[in-house]
Amino acid sequence: MIIRKKYLFYVLALSSAVANAFASGVDAVVSSLFIHDPWAFGVACFLVGVIIALIFSIILSIRFKDKSLGSKAIDPSFNHLRFIRREEIKYQLLSAFGNAILTIGYYILLSILADPSVVIPFTQMVILYLVLMESITEKDMPTLVEVQSALIVTFGAILGSISFSGDINLLSLAIVFLVINPGWMISSIYQRKLKLLKINGKPNDSLNIRFWNVLFAFLITSGIVLIYDISSGANHLLNGIIYAFRFFNWISIMGIGTFFSLVLYIRALGIGKASVTQAVKSTAIIFSIPVSIILAYLNIIPSFSTDPTMVAIRGIGIILMILGIASYALTLVKAYIFIEMKPGYPILDIMRKLWDIRGVTRVAAVAGKYDFIIKIRTRTLVKGYEKIIRKLNEIEGIKKYKWESVLREWEKL
Amino acid sequence: MLIAPENGLVKESMITAYILTILKPGSADKAIQEMRKIDHVEKISVVAGEYDIVVRVQVDNLEELLDVTNRIQMIDGVEKTTTQIIEKEIAL
Repeated sequence: MIIRKKYLFYVLALSSAVANAFASGVDAVVSSLFIHDPWAFGVACFLVGVIIALIFSIILSIRFKDKSLGSKAIDPSFNHLRFIRREEIKYQLLSAFGNAILTIGYYILLSILADPSVVIPFTQMVILYLVLMESITEKDMPTLVEVQSALIVTFGAILGSISFSGDINLLSLAIVFLVINPGWMISSIYQRKLKLLKINGKPNDSLNIRFWNVLFAFLITSGIVLIYDISSGANHLLNGIIYAFRFFNWISIMGIGTFFSLVLYIRALGIGKASVTQAVKSTAIIFSIPVSIILAYLNIIPSFSTDPTMVAIRGIGIILMILGIASYALTLVKAYIFIEMKPGYPILDIMRKLWDIRGVTRVAAVAGKYDFIIKIRTRTLVKGYEKIIRKLNEIEGIKKYKWESVLREWEKL
Repeated sequence: MLIAPENGLVKESMITAYILTILKPGSADKAIQEMRKIDHVEKISVVAGEYDIVVRVQVDNLEELLDVTNRIQMIDGVEKTTTQIIEKEIAL
């Protein structure tokens, strides 16, 4: 199927946000009604998560008319559940480590603060970590528009989810900024790397990535909890395993939500940058409002604040988030440049030089009327145009080039 | 020895090419609908400049490339096509 890539990206990221809002609603139910020990809850979540991921990956591996169900419904690159590849292990370990760190950070937060909802909004700052990290790892530096949009979404997310019911202390903020957010960042960045990896010449699929990730994260988390248990004489690991089976129904509902949320998130990561994907996914805060209203109505969580100040602050936050995401979506400019060369310049050298220009996402040496076709991506047309053209003019041997701005684009996925 | 396709037998002989097309004014929407139905088409970009649509195709051999080019040329409104075969590529 050939579709507009831009639409697919937003559909995936928003669906992930909806699934996430649903899962965190169930999360609130389980932690307020059944499991009060955050460490054991974490172990139980991961254990059930592994079982859920295994069951769904097997169901989605069932073949129907020559194609697996998963490739039809979730990710076209998915064939069947497979064993982890050697080239994946390093990234999976790092990503699962990030996942385990952020989960454990969250439990510590829960154990020192009865109501972590005061500091949780600050986990949205992870978008800024991702912007910073991408300026180092990805080829293009964030442009002003990207930094601006990231800031708008982040502040919107903080305002949209803020609550004044507890108190903020330095330790809890330190955990958010030094443990949870970096864990999340590492996890996202390596999941993106995994998704961009080619397995036998075909793009990697998000279902296998998620399955192996949750398995590794379960093992790492269990290891850390076990060490904590031994040093403190507690029984969190064992309790977690017991809880996993005693409350399997509830936790598995949450696990299904989380599984789909993350599978869709990983697939979206394969299309867009981690920071933009994360920004769109943070709309989970908006989708969680109806979930919270239902839960409050059922008296499971404390009722929603109707204080006008709070409503205004949250309203402003939500408007900011939508604005920020819209500006991400509307400011991306893509173009092709067709290049003709003078004879006598080595192709590989020129390719390298073209590739080094900031904003160039693809360089193809071609046979035909032109010598190179390059694809560029920029956030601001005037500035990007000027910078790229100036660099192009510095390369010796170029006879002629043609800039063709992309107006719309369809892609097979 | 027989190896299942997903266990290492990589198709190395894939040919990727850009087909640059020029259309008659006003025929873009219909032409895109037609192009979306063609197998082996990877990407369709509507551009502003000398060309109107840039199509990226991935085929197994030159015969298939000919077939795809032919099908694009048969579309109503396509005036001229130029095929650029990719010899080497770097991408993000």
